[in-house]
Amino acid sequence: MCSIAAPEIFGSDELGHATVLIEGDVPVELQAKARRAQANCPEDAIIIEE
Amino acid sequence: MTTLEENSDPVNDPTTDYNIFDPEFVRDPYPTMTEIRESGCPIAHSNRWGGSWFPTRYEDVVAIAQEHEIFTSRDIIVVPRAAAQAEGPYAGVAAPPITSDPPDHHWHRRLILPIFAPQSVAKYEQGTRDLCNKLIDGFIAKGEADAGTDYAQQIPVRVIATMLGVPTEMADEFTGWVRGVLEVGLTDPKVRLESRLKILNFFRQQLDDRRANPREDDLITDLLNSGDKYPVTDQYVLGVCNLMLVAGIDTTWSAIGSSLWHMAQHPEHRKQLRDNPELWPTAIEELLRAYSPVTMARIVDRDTEFQGCPMKAGDRILMSFPAANRDPRQFDRPDDVILDREHNRHVAFGSGIHRCAGSNLARLELRVALQVWMERIPEFSLVDPATVIWAGGQVHGPRVCRVRF
Ligand code: HEM
Repeated sequence: MCSIAAPEIFGSDELGHATVLIEGDVPVELQAKARRAQANCPEDAIIIEE
Repeated sequence: MTTLEENSDPVNDPTTDYNIFDPEFVRDPYPTMTEIRESGCPIAHSNRWGGSWFPTRYEDVVAIAQEHEIFTSRDIIVVPRAAAQAEGPYAGVAAPPITSDPPDHHWHRRLILPIFAPQSVAKYEQGTRDLCNKLIDGFIAKGEADAGTDYAQQIPVRVIATMLGVPTEMADEFTGWVRGVLEVGLTDPKVRLESRLKILNFFRQQLDDRRANPREDDLITDLLNSGDKYPVTDQYVLGVCNLMLVAGIDTTWSAIGSSLWHMAQHPEHRKQLRDNPELWPTAIEELLRAYSPVTMARIVDRDTEFQGCPMKAGDRILMSFPAANRDPRQFDRPDDVILDREHNRHVAFGSGIHRCAGSNLARLELRVALQVWMERIPEFSLVDPATVIWAGGQVHGPRVCRVRF
């Protein structure tokens, strides 16, 4: 799901489990997408640190 | 108390006497769900169909799904199984991982997850698109079609047959067997057992055939060959094949059907998607939320009190993901379909350790089926809303849905 909402940030491993593709801070232009992924994560598994 | 006749008297108060097979509930369950959810008793109980609890709030459904030690998946069918089934020749064959509890659940699930990862299911996209186009070629000239039978019903069964490496020409038979287990069979134990035996006999032969004539590159073969990593038995492989058919067909078919039924009645949504194709991913999630097809069950492991309800060991709980997805505490204007809904943590695919393993495949099929339809048939409407026939119980969706274009 997160890899659909924010494909630049999230990918998935060979089991389909989500992985984070970028290191460090999320670039400004992707922050809205990161929030959208968080709001829609079915397992409430995304934490955004400000 | 598990046949239609025994359960047919009218319902007076749904909070104490709901009937999930009441024709009105099957057609349109949402008003009853709202009535229960907003009553003083949002977890209803009914003695019909062997007795069950019916939580209707998002928070409660999710909490039960997470507490898998108390609320087990020993039986996930919404009505008790026919006693005869346990005595049948395949008595030990379940449907892993959906019917497994920890610790086995972990490897049961792990073994099948790789086939459903987004990058693995992507290879079925073109084939699904070609299939949808071919189905539409078959009826587009007539100006009328049954979006249920002629289209939605035909798609998932062929995708699953291709994955499993079994003949796609048998699609109608597979469909009949699955309906026998999940629809007709819920209220008719004899049909349920017969259909189950057909499925398991068929896969038994497929297993034997692969042993005699080894093949490459199909799911059954891969499962049979994974014994080096996990304690794989024939019983497990049969169970997984059974589940693929039962979990992968009726569900996705219902989601495609409900979405087309909705689109047929909402020209403004058809236009919105035409003008803003970037909305497709959120639109798919919204349609899944609003018309969630699947209700599962849990069996209470030991006496427990949940939200003031005295639940006894062995009690059945209906996991109404459809009711959870219409809870106004979780979703703004839950009964409206809002294709660009920003916050949509829906539970159409369940929640917790049993969350749908096939969700990436289901999303792909739903998106492709709708996109191809709307490309080829941009304008369409219901022939007559009153003649749409719905299935309900475990899986909710239109079976007959005539449209004109
Ligand atoms: C729109 C279509 C679908 C919906 C709404 C749906 C819904 C669900 C739900 C609600 C569960 C959770 C069961 C529970 O909590 O007891 C589930 C589990 C499962 N689904 Fe789906 N499903 C869909 C399509 C598929 C497809 C296409 C497949 C694959 C062929 C599939 C395979 C599975 C499997 C294997 C599980 C069990 C996972 C586990 O127990 O670990 N589903 N599905």
